[in-house]
Amino acid sequence: MAAARRLRDRPERLVLPALAAASASLLLVVFYYPVATVFVDAVTVDGEVSLAPLAEVVSDPFYVGWLAEPGVPGLGELSGLGRFGFTAWQAALSTAASVALGLPGAWALARFEFRGRRTLRSLTILPFILPSMLVVVGFYAAFGADGTLNTLLGAVGLPTVDLLPSLSAVVVAHAFYNAPLVTRVVTAAYERVDAGAVETARALGASRRRAFLDVVVPQLLPAVLVGATLTFVFTFASFPIILALGGTRLATVEVLLFSAIRQLEYGEAAALAVLETGLSLLLTAAYLRYERQSQTERSAVRPLPRRELVPSAWRERATWTVRRLGSRAAVVGYGLIVICVFVGPLASVVYESLVIDGRLTATAYEFLLTRQQTGASFQVKPWPAVRNSVAFGVATLAVALPAGVAVSVATTGEGRWSRLVDLLSVAPFAVSGIVVGLGLLRGLVFGAVVFGYRVTVTGPVAITAAHAVGAYPFVVRNVAPALGELDDRLVESARSLGASRARALVDIELPLIWPGVLAGAAFAFAVSVGEFDATVVLAEGGGTYTMPVAVERYVGRRLGPATAMGTVLLFVTAVSFVVLDRVGGGGVGGFGSGGERGSTGSGGRSGGDDSERGSTGSGGRGSTGRGERSGDPDGNPGRGDQS
Amino acid sequence: MTDAAGVTLDGVRVVYGETTALADVSVRVEPGEFFTLVGPSGCGKTTTLRVLGGFESATAGDVRIDGQDVSGVPPEDRGVGVVFQHYALFPHMTVAENVGYGLRFSEPPGGGTADERVSELLSLVGLPEAGERDPTTLSGGQRQRVALARALAPGPRLLLLDEPLSALDAQLRERLRRTVRRIQRELGITTVYVTHDQAEALAVSDRLAVVSDGRIEQVGTPREVYRRPATRFVAGFVGDNNVFEGTVSAVGDNPAGVDGTADDERLATVRVGGAELTVAADCRRGASVTFCVRPDALTPGADRNRLDVTVTETEFLGETSRVRGEWRGQSITLRTTEPPAVGETVSVGFGPDAVHVVGVTD
Repeated sequence: MAAARRLRDRPERLVLPALAAASASLLLVVFYYPVATVFVDAVTVDGEVSLAPLAEVVSDPFYVGWLAEPGVPGLGELSGLGRFGFTAWQAALSTAASVALGLPGAWALARFEFRGRRTLRSLTILPFILPSMLVVVGFYAAFGADGTLNTLLGAVGLPTVDLLPSLSAVVVAHAFYNAPLVTRVVTAAYERVDAGAVETARALGASRRRAFLDVVVPQLLPAVLVGATLTFVFTFASFPIILALGGTRLATVEVLLFSAIRQLEYGEAAALAVLETGLSLLLTAAYLRYERQSQTERSAVRPLPRRELVPSAWRERATWTVRRLGSRAAVVGYGLIVICVFVGPLASVVYESLVIDGRLTATAYEFLLTRQQTGASFQVKPWPAVRNSVAFGVATLAVALPAGVAVSVATTGEGRWSRLVDLLSVAPFAVSGIVVGLGLLRGLVFGAVVFGYRVTVTGPVAITAAHAVGAYPFVVRNVAPALGELDDRLVESARSLGASRARALVDIELPLIWPGVLAGAAFAFAVSVGEFDATVVLAEGGGTYTMPVAVERYVGRRLGPATAMGTVLLFVTAVSFVVLDRVGGGGVGGFGSGGERGSTGSGGRSGGDDSERGSTGSGGRGSTGRGERSGDPDGNPGRGDQS
Repeated sequence: MTDAAGVTLDGVRVVYGETTALADVSVRVEPGEFFTLVGPSGCGKTTTLRVLGGFESATAGDVRIDGQDVSGVPPEDRGVGVVFQHYALFPHMTVAENVGYGLRFSEPPGGGTADERVSELLSLVGLPEAGERDPTTLSGGQRQRVALARALAPGPRLLLLDEPLSALDAQLRERLRRTVRRIQRELGITTVYVTHDQAEALAVSDRLAVVSDGRIEQVGTPREVYRRPATRFVAGFVGDNNVFEGTVSAVGDNPAGVDGTADDERLATVRVGGAELTVAADCRRGASVTFCVRPDALTPGADRNRLDVTVTETEFLGETSRVRGEWRGQSITLRTTEPPAVGETVSVGFGPDAVHVVGVTD
C-alpha cells in the first residue's frame, strides 16, 4: 500500500522542488546572467579583454572631477566633484535631509499616543510601494510653474516662483521619499528600548538628558545608520526624481548611464554600471552590518510608555509645564511640516488632475481612455500605458508569487538557509533598475547564444522579468517569516497523516499564512506598477511603455494628463496599502506595522524538547518565532522601484 | 487496522554539524508493545522519535519498521501516527476535519466511510459530540484527545507520542495517560512514547529505554529498570535513590562479623566516606563498587549499615514524606511517615541485600 501511495504521489512530490528550481533558474537567467553581461561589457572591447572602458571613465574629469585632473574648471561650484562626486554629494544632502525629516517622526510615533498614530505608523511603509514617478508628479503639481503653490501665490496676489528644476527640489523630493524609511526603522528601534534601562539610569543618578544620551541614543544609533545607509544607496542610484526634477545640469551617474544607453554607447554604459554597482554593493554590505547590529536588541521587556499628545487632564492648567507644552508644540509643528511636505504634493496631484484653468473637469481622465493619438507631441499614448501597466502587474504577480512562495518554503525549513534568503532578496535591490534593464537588453532582448541556439526574448517578457526580479523579494519577506512562525509540527502532523510536502503547503500552511501571501502580492503588484527604471530602458522605442513611463513623458509638458495618470498610480498604491494595512499588516513579517500588533497566533509554538534540535538552526527559526528574521528591523529588503 | 509493526533501530546516529544528538542507538520494539523513551531534556529521545517519524534522517544506522528499511521514506509513506506535545491541530479546520485529514490520502480502515471513521475515533477518545467544534475552543486535554484521534484515524501501524501530556496539569495528565494506555491496548498498536517524566514512564510502559546523552543506558520492563538500574545514571534518574561509591576492603561469606545473611550469598565490605558498609556483592578485594539503596530500604533503628543522617529538608508528599539529609558529606534521601525536624539527626540502616550493585571495576 505504501508503495502504491508513493507512486500515485510522485508528480505532486515534484511540484515544490520544480518550483524552487524554476525560481532559481529565473533569477539566474533574468538577473544574474544579464548583470554579468554588463560586467563583461565593461571589461571587453570587440571581444578582447580590456580595461579601457573602465579606465576611460575613471580618468575622465567629467566623471571623477579633481580626482583625474585637480582644479579643472567647469560647470559651476559643483563641477570640481565630477559626476560621481556630484552624485555622492546630492545623495549625502538627501540623506541628511531625510534623517532630519524622519527622526522627529520616530520620536513622535514612539513616544506619543494620539488618534491615527497606528495609521501613520503603517503609512511609513509607503516609500516601499509608492512609485518614484508619483513623487515627481507630486512635486510638479505642487511646486511646478503651474503648480498648486503658484496658484495659491497668484490667488493672493504674490509673484509666482520658479522652483523646478533645482538641486533643492531633488533633495526635498528625496527627503519626502526616504524620511518615512528613516522614521520606520528608528521607530522600531525606539520601541525596543526597555523602559527599565532608562529608569535604572535615572535611579543611578543620571538626569533625564543624560539617561537619554547614555541609554536611548546608543540603542537608536544603529537604526539611524541603517536608515541613512539605505537612503544613501537609494538616492545615489535614484533615477526618475533626478531625471525629472534635476534637469540636465544635475545629471547623476544613473542619468548619464541612461543617456549612454539611449545613445547606444553600451561600453560606456557598462563601465558606469559596473562602477555604480560596485559602490552600491559596498554600501549594501555596510547596511547589512548595521542591520545586524540593530538586530541584536530583542524586543523590550517593557517599552517606554507613550505620553498622550493631548492629555485627558488637559483642562487642568496646573499639569502643563513648559517642558510638556514645548514637546507638544514640537510635535504639532512637525505635523505641519509633514502636511506640507508629504500631503501637499500628493493632494496636488489629485487637485491638478481635476481642476484645469480653475474649473473642475474630467478632461484629463478622458484623455487616459483615448485610444487614438490625440496630439503630435505625445509619442506615448495614454490608454496602452494603463493597459500595459495592469498587464505587467498581473504577469509579475503570476511569476513573483509562486517563485517567492517556493523560495520561502525551500528556505524556511532549515535555519542555516535563512542567510541565503537574505542574500537572494538583497542582491536584486543592490543593483539599480537601469543596470538590470541594460543587462536584459544586452543579454536577452538582443539575444544570447545558449548551447548553439540563439535565445532572444521580447520586450514585454523582459519587462515582466525585470519586474518579477524586483518584486519577488517582497513576497519572500512577507511569506518566509509567516511560514517560519508556524509550528513545524503542523506540517509534520500533516505529513505523517499522508500529505506530501506540497499538499501540506496547500492544505495547512497557505490557509494559515494567507495574509502574508496577500501582502506579498500587494507589494509585488505595486512594485510592478510603479517600476520605472528598468521599464524605461526596455520599453525604449517599443509599444510597451507603462504608466510611470508615460507620466515621465507628459510631466513638464502638460500637467493635466500627468496628474491624471499620477492619480491612477496613487489609487493603485493606496489600494495596495490598504490591503497591506488591513490584511497583511497584522503581524505578518512586520511590514504593515513593524511588529506592534500581536503575532499571527496560528497554533501553539513548538516548545518542549526543542533543545534537542536547537543545534540545527543557528537562525533558530523553528523555535522562537517572530522578530528573529533578519531584514532591517522591520524586515524590509528595500524597494524595487527607486533604486 | 493494519497489523501492529515491530520497530528496529540499529546503530542509529544523528549528527548536526558539530553536535551529536544521537551517538549510537540500538533498540527493538515488539509488535503491539507500549515502549517508552525516557530521559532528561536534550538527551536525544525526541530525536529518536523524529527519526522514526521521518522528520529527521539518521546520519548512520539502520531504521526498520515492520522489517522494512525506511531510510529515505518520507513521513507520508511510513504509516506512522504522531501526536505532539502542543497538539499541532490545524487551527483552520474543525475537529472532524482534523481527524478526517489523514483519510484524504488513504481509505478508512475497516471498510466504512471517512465520516464513520471520524465519529468512531471521536467516540473512542471520548469526544463524540465535538466534531463541528473549532479546535481552538477546546481545552488542552480535549485538544490532545483530538490529536490522538487524528493520528489513529488512518490506521497507522505505529503510533509515536512526543511528550503528549507534558503541557497538561498533573491530574489531567494522569487521567489522560490511562486513556491513552486503554486505547493502545484496545487497538493493540505498537506505540513509542517519549517523556522526560520517569514516574510516567514507569506507570504506562510495557518496556522502557532510559536515554542519556544520545545513548541508551538501559532497556527493560519498569520493574527491572527500577529494581536493577544498569548504570549509575539510571540509578539516579529513575525514582529516588541513594548511590554510594567505595572500595572493597574485605570479602567473604560473613565478613566483619555480620550474621543473619543467607549462607550462599557473597558479602563485601565497602569503604564509603570513611565508614564501612556491608553489601551483598560478588567482587574482589580492592575493587571499586557503585551501589544503590532505595529510600524505602533505609529503615530507622536498623543496626546494620547504620547511617547517621542530618536532616536538611523534608517534603510532605501525602502518605509519606521525603526526607533529605547528609551523611559524611553525601546526600541521602529517606522515606518516612513521620518526618523528623530539619537539623535533627536520624539513624537509619539497610540490609546487605537491599543493595543493588550498579557497577564493579577491579
